Amino acid sequence: MQRYLEILPLLIRLRVKSEMEYRGAYLLDRLAQIIAYGSAFATVWLIVNRFAMLGGWRWPELALLLSAQLLAYASGAALSFTQFRDLEEQVRLGTFDVLLVKPMSAWAFQVFSGFNIGYSGHIILGLGLMLWSLGQVEVHWTAFAVLYLVASLLSAAMVTAALLTMLGANALFLVRSRHLYSIYFGIWELTRFPLSIFPGWIQTLMLTVLPLGFGSFVPVAYLLGKPIPIFGDWAGIASPFVGPLPVLLAIAHWRYAISKYQGAGG
Amino acid sequence: MYRAFALSAFQTQLAYRSQVWSYLFFALVIVVAKVAIWTSVYGNASVIGGVTLKQMITYAILAASILNAWEYAPLIRGIDRALKSGEIAIYLLRPVSYPLYLLASQTGDLAYGVLVAVLPATLIAILIYGILPPASPAYGAFFVGYWVLSFLILFLFAVLFGLAAFWLMTAFSLEWLLQAILWIFGGGWIPFWFFPEPLGSIARHLPFAWIGYYPTAVYLGKLTLEECWLYLVVGCGWAALLAIGVALLWRRARLRLVVQGG
Repeated sequence: MQRYLEILPLLIRLRVKSEMEYRGAYLLDRLAQIIAYGSAFATVWLIVNRFAMLGGWRWPELALLLSAQLLAYASGAALSFTQFRDLEEQVRLGTFDVLLVKPMSAWAFQVFSGFNIGYSGHIILGLGLMLWSLGQVEVHWTAFAVLYLVASLLSAAMVTAALLTMLGANALFLVRSRHLYSIYFGIWELTRFPLSIFPGWIQTLMLTVLPLGFGSFVPVAYLLGKPIPIFGDWAGIASPFVGPLPVLLAIAHWRYAISKYQGAGG
Repeated sequence: MYRAFALSAFQTQLAYRSQVWSYLFFALVIVVAKVAIWTSVYGNASVIGGVTLKQMITYAILAASILNAWEYAPLIRGIDRALKSGEIAIYLLRPVSYPLYLLASQTGDLAYGVLVAVLPATLIAILIYGILPPASPAYGAFFVGYWVLSFLILFLFAVLFGLAAFWLMTAFSLEWLLQAILWIFGGGWIPFWFFPEPLGSIARHLPFAWIGYYPTAVYLGKLTLEECWLYLVVGCGWAALLAIGVALLWRRARLRLVVQGG
């Protein structure tokens, strides 16, 4: 077990090293992503600038929501998104079979050898915006509130990673899975805005089947004392503990997918 | 011949029908989001800055239709791949112009996008929210013309960015950069009349305005008919300038190109 755990950091180091071979392109890519997310956030700012509020939220509050959304997504996706998005291609080409005969879990190898340091741009932007907005919003800061925010972000990262993993793992028995991601990212776009402005069926969807609402809206709304639809403050209290549920589900789903895997034939 | 390329692209897309549902879903979710945002900020007000909520909902549905009909990212990636893998040599050997070939095949993709994603998504959105008719039949006709121009300008930008990847080594960052620009200056999310000045005036004169803003603003009759003609000419000017840019860049890329291996 210990040797097993020692391998994981090595896999990450290998990955970082190979990415750094193209340092110029790497930095340019990160810069472009920071600009792109910056301008997506700027559209939210433009709306609030014109209308003063969006669903009862002021700009610093929305900035906190946006930064939490980006941080939760980036930390979860670094361990899942590109790895499992590309699983479909590996299944089609048959290269996934190689992972099955390695003396370690195929999941662990896939996740850590593909650990995506490309999300560093997201993290820089997210942390910067979060630090700024935390200074602007009115929250009674206690050790408990800080702990709550950190735990909620971790839980949100788990939700992200679990959902992205499950979507991709479908490739093992459906062969195609890529288009499922557009459904995820469609819903994810909505998490840039307060959940309370959306129609009831979207709110329900985002607090149950695709629990992205817990990714940023619920904890931030709870901290700021904003109303949370459907579950009210109970959702706020639950948000640090939500993450492990989809993770357990993702583990079961992965086991099932592996047991059903037959290769793409040919 | 180019018509055959367009047809073939259309048929290739037809083979991936399973993606239609997710495509449709994505398009609809974006419309739902935008309508929810405008409904929320309007609150009880019926008119803000001379624009009604009904007009904003129409704007959201139409802008989403225009921008979802065709994806520029696969084109940028495709050009980048063709240049780096040497696949481009196939096109150089054929008696066709590569940029024109791209235009033809992307028109096929656009036709597919309109048919399977835009028409159903727009119809569903209209059933749910309703939509205003064009301000007058003349504005409706202008809308169609502006839509064609919108596709041309976005296409030219995508080719320009794709070819630039030849020098910058990373198509990824160019794709994100174009997305960043379009988010604000394409007018798909927020019409420029809600921008603070002078940002609004600047945005109205950048070529990106013709991608999302003008077609929709024209449909709603936010320009006089004289202005419609004027801005159509200016937009065509931008398109011509971009086309020259593509021609020049393609020539330089071709001269720089060394296809290795046999």
